[in-house]
Amino acid sequence: MPDSFLSKLIADKVQIRLRRSKGEPVLRAKADRGGRRRSAIAICLLIMLGLGCDKLLTSPPAPGERFDQPLQGLDNGELGDFQDGQIQFRRAFTITDGLGPIFNNVSCATCHSGDGRGSTENTLTRFSRGTDLDIGEGGPQIQDKAIPGAVAERLPAGVDVSLRMPPAVFGVGLIEALTDSVILTHADPSDADADGISGRPNMVTPPGFVPATEPGAGPGLRVGRFGRKAQVSSLLQQTATAYHQDMGITSPYFPTENVNPLAPAGLPDPDRAPDPEVNAGQVNDVEQYMRMLAPPAPGEWTDQRRRGQALFASARCAVCHVPTMHTGAHEIDALSDRDVTLYSDLLLHDLGAALADNRPDGDADGQEWRTAPLWGLRIAREFQNGQLLLLHDGRAHSVDEAIRLHGGEAAAARDAFLAMPPADRAALLDFVESR
Amino acid sequence: MRARGSNAAAGVAALVVLLVASVGRATPLPGRGPAAPLVHEEKSPWPLHEGPYHGNLDGIAFGAYGELRFAEDRIRGVTNPEWFSVGRVGGFVSARLNPRFEILGEGAWDRGPDDFSLEQVDLRYRLKRSMQLHAGVFLVPLGRTNLWHDGPAYEFAERSLPATQLIGVPNAQLGIGLRGAGGGLHGRPLTYEVDVVTGYDDGLIMDAAGGTRVPKGRNNYGDNNGVPALAARVAVHPSSTSEIGFAEQSGQYNKTVLGGVTIDHARYLHVLVADATSGFAGFNLFGEAAVALIDVPPGLQALYAQQQWGASVELTRTLREPIFGGWTRSKLSGGLRVDAVDFDPSVLGDSRTRLSMSLNFRQIPLGVIRLGWYYEIARDRFNNKTPKAGVTVTTAAYF
Repeated sequence: MPDSFLSKLIADKVQIRLRRSKGEPVLRAKADRGGRRRSAIAICLLIMLGLGCDKLLTSPPAPGERFDQPLQGLDNGELGDFQDGQIQFRRAFTITDGLGPIFNNVSCATCHSGDGRGSTENTLTRFSRGTDLDIGEGGPQIQDKAIPGAVAERLPAGVDVSLRMPPAVFGVGLIEALTDSVILTHADPSDADADGISGRPNMVTPPGFVPATEPGAGPGLRVGRFGRKAQVSSLLQQTATAYHQDMGITSPYFPTENVNPLAPAGLPDPDRAPDPEVNAGQVNDVEQYMRMLAPPAPGEWTDQRRRGQALFASARCAVCHVPTMHTGAHEIDALSDRDVTLYSDLLLHDLGAALADNRPDGDADGQEWRTAPLWGLRIAREFQNGQLLLLHDGRAHSVDEAIRLHGGEAAAARDAFLAMPPADRAALLDFVESR
Repeated sequence: MRARGSNAAAGVAALVVLLVASVGRATPLPGRGPAAPLVHEEKSPWPLHEGPYHGNLDGIAFGAYGELRFAEDRIRGVTNPEWFSVGRVGGFVSARLNPRFEILGEGAWDRGPDDFSLEQVDLRYRLKRSMQLHAGVFLVPLGRTNLWHDGPAYEFAERSLPATQLIGVPNAQLGIGLRGAGGGLHGRPLTYEVDVVTGYDDGLIMDAAGGTRVPKGRNNYGDNNGVPALAARVAVHPSSTSEIGFAEQSGQYNKTVLGGVTIDHARYLHVLVADATSGFAGFNLFGEAAVALIDVPPGLQALYAQQQWGASVELTRTLREPIFGGWTRSKLSGGLRVDAVDFDPSVLGDSRTRLSMSLNFRQIPLGVIRLGWYYEIARDRFNNKTPKAGVTVTTAAYF
């Protein structure tokens, strides 16, 4: 025991004895020491807090690790627009704001998890009677929620049902920036090369409210590129329709409320918010936000993934899942003249009876689906409670399962995958899941 | 940058004014703290001077308090630019009209709801020594935090999640009721309050973004449906520093008629709160838990929760008192709090969980400077988590 410690101990005892002899409270002296010790501990904790500030105050995600990050190369004005749009995208509408009278969800963000895909809980239900979209019974989409005083829609009996999981909204600006001619380069509607794969565009007429200056608008037929069946050509149309159909929010583009045609007559209008419930600027903000959302970065290349990429091509998956297309001119420089690695041709393909919804969408028939872009898969589980929900209705819980469900034009590619040795299949899956 | 600079100057000036006011003018009257159960007052459970009043004029006592907040808040690593804010500012006035009759008024702007609310215009009539009739606008007895939430004596920069997100503290309603105290349970004092109040309104659904939010239905001073709600609290006091309370409020929240047409049947909200205060080994322990049961219209049940719950536990301790020999009334205290609220137990997410620490310096009992840190995880309905954390410096004082 060091002398200094011993002498301090003795000094303390002497001090205590002295206090006792003077009648001073000894306990108070102990309490003072205890208080000083506690204060010192508290101050040390605070210093540690300061030193570990960044860790204790949360840290931003690494670039490319989320779905809600802006494209690289945006200027300050565009980044400001991005922020404005993000606020609108995340705005949850209340009934007082005008939500409803019938609706599916309360905001854009509550359907698109972290700006990625939705989940089985908020899957939209579209229906038809054969080719009839059944507007008179509430078609083409069921709004299964209603504000007090309104009646929610219910699925009529005997209809063809198509469940649609909300798609990811990142990367849509890059898809918009692809010219019609670039997409049509990959079309082969009559299977002229006799390879069994006959991608064709869904040629659609943009609605009248979309200004001709908007990408995907203008007179005549345009190449549809958004939606599970590429039934929409314009991002503005997609956005304004979602406000109206999914949230029951009127805008100058859809100034009249969507109501349940089968609700009893004579009920007072429970939606007391004046129409339009959002202005055109707010819809445009969301459109612009989505336009500037960057796809997340793909995973790092490994030898196995390079081998998987080669196997992906040799199995002819890449005929439809075209690795890269090149954008044309766009008013946002960050979208112009650049390669887009989306692994899709954005064309319609017959995927067989197992995936068919028997419901038309524009020019697409009941067995045709747009080739889904393969991006964001690497981090998709983080936004879907640790699981993958793939295909249009989320029925596939892994890439392997999704491939096995391919049929029709994709049957040969599927069979080629299934014929591979396990190690090759694992390499191919690793490659796809790293996108 | 200029705006940020002027904000800083205004904030520092306000801080100095508050501190000078609290040190120079404050009179150390009995606090409004939770550790002093009303039942132990000698003459009346509800003395006129239950707050630290600083002035009087012809029998009217008055005072005020304020709370400032300086913070570095970050959400997922991104700093919130709102680094200075007023947490809460309010005033109160009291008058005893005769030995049995008094009136208490209090109003405050609160950062939590971002609104000014009339918390009390309470007429109190003492029926007998331990029983009081009261009417007007008053804080409903939904838990200890709602009954007592002044900043200067509070040990944390923010009130707990169940208090703010479920009960809606400060939650005042219009009504009439009875308060009393008695010999109680096995000799342990018992206090009670039973009120008929306006209740919550349909704002808890109509004005709630993204799901049921009970606090959006408060401040229903005029009653939206003409059907009163019942609020009650009973508390037992095992010792002079401990209390166990149970509270409940039930009532119809919705309107059933719109434009002369019946559109819905009566729907009820029940809020149950349990709270406990105790001391052991030099620590003060406070816990509060709340459950809300909401009858949601069928068209909204998939998104609007029919049950919610929240709980908080606070552990506080005096670390040093006095801090220096010359500052005889000074005190250094610390606190740790864990709180959580689940807005919808039927889904994995839609919840918030928070850990808070605070180190509090009081030169006198009526003013405090708190250094705090908190870390919160908010989860959306997809169960995606958003971390939020902050270092706060808050000051609060009566003046």
